[in-house]
Amino acid sequence: MKVVILDERCVGHGMCRLACPEMFELSDEDGHAYVTSETVPPDLEAAVDQAVRGCPEQAIVVEA
Amino acid sequence: MDSQEDLKRCPVDFDHESRTHASNWPTEFRELRGKCPVAWTEKHGGYWVATRYQDVVAMAQDDATFSSFKTFDPHSGEVTGGITIPATPIPRGLPVESDRPDWNMFRTYLNRRFAPKAAEARRAKVRKYADSLLNRVIETGEIDLVNEFTGPVPAMTTMELMGLPLEEWREFADPLHEMVFTPKEAPEYPHVIAGVQWIFKRCIETFHQRKTEPLGDDLLSYFAHEKIDGRAVTEEEMLSFCNNIITGGVDTTTALTTHALVYLNEHPEDYRRLQEEPKLLPVAREEFVRFFTPIHGLARNVSRDVEMDGAKMEKGDRVYLAWSAANRDPEVFTDPETVDIARFPNRHIAFGAGMHRCIGSFMARVMFEEMMHVVMVRIPDYRTHPDRARRYTSVGTINGWVDMPTSFTPGPKIETGLVL
Repeated sequence: MKVVILDERCVGHGMCRLACPEMFELSDEDGHAYVTSETVPPDLEAAVDQAVRGCPEQAIVVEA
Repeated sequence: MDSQEDLKRCPVDFDHESRTHASNWPTEFRELRGKCPVAWTEKHGGYWVATRYQDVVAMAQDDATFSSFKTFDPHSGEVTGGITIPATPIPRGLPVESDRPDWNMFRTYLNRRFAPKAAEARRAKVRKYADSLLNRVIETGEIDLVNEFTGPVPAMTTMELMGLPLEEWREFADPLHEMVFTPKEAPEYPHVIAGVQWIFKRCIETFHQRKTEPLGDDLLSYFAHEKIDGRAVTEEEMLSFCNNIITGGVDTTTALTTHALVYLNEHPEDYRRLQEEPKLLPVAREEFVRFFTPIHGLARNVSRDVEMDGAKMEKGDRVYLAWSAANRDPEVFTDPETVDIARFPNRHIAFGAGMHRCIGSFMARVMFEEMMHVVMVRIPDYRTHPDRARRYTSVGTINGWVDMPTSFTPGPKIETGLVL
């Protein structure tokens, strides 16, 4: 599974970090999220899925 | 009926500032979401009310169509645009009452000062204020939770952030709380406004003082020294920043924390669970933010004719985006009218949505967590008495409490290095 954040949509709700801190960091500049790696390890797929469903801006996209 | 009227689909008798709405808002919003998700009311000069999650997010994200820009002429008192209904005859808040491209400049200038790292850096100070405020009353067993704790902690944190002297915390905290719930026709209203004006006067004085001193760590020093777009920040911009930071950050966190503590007192099983599983606090925090949504809604200004969920909106119309209604939309949240402290994921929009989303949310989260921690550790058997407390008579600005008598088993003071 791959994950990307659509920078033009992310405004820094931070809910993805709450869902999966291993995969999502928040910028020290503006609080917007970025991924630590585009490839999601299998054991974090469920948490990343929660991040996708928890994002109010629909800014997180995953590909199988 | 004239053609103008025909365009305003779904006319309803609705006023988000009314007492009826304050006491009945979950029902009013439930009905609107079902029947008239974008409804028209004639109150306050006429405005649309959006209550469905999907519509509210779409409008907040479409910042080109739904403008936040405000103008205010201090001589005539004339106001256009902005994010409040009714419009308030005061200078705009920044960055929140600006549009692109100016918004980019203002928001970029401030973002770093409110990012997660900057908020975390203040955690120890927030704890110190919370512990020191509790020291004032801990030996008595009685506290007005709002006026002696959940109000002053955000006020002091904001003062420290701005660079205002902490010993003036009472003069700072009281007007910012009273301004939110004191009706404009009340005899004490002019006194409250004078108190708020005094705070802004202190901001101006400190801003000019900081210009004569080397760059320090506080925001007023940052405004005095750090250029924006290659030039100095004007006094007007500085005041607009202060307006946004102070009104956005203080009484909102007060309302959230008070609601959460009352809720936990009334739901001991949830309280026990949080005590046993402190790691659940951030998840519970987001559920309290969703359920209580301290800022119930904010306005936008329609900049071109547009159709939204069947409503034909015209250029110049105003629209109220009801975050609180969106946060209880059953299309998005299971059992939305119930608090589930383990609800997750939780895509609430209590901090707004789109580019104007609350800049201070990370600060608010730190303040909430520290206040909750201090209460749960030092006065764990606290009992709130909402039957003796007063709710705000309007939820138009903030959904909060005027006061909250609270009792607990007295305990010892602890050393904080700060005597209040």
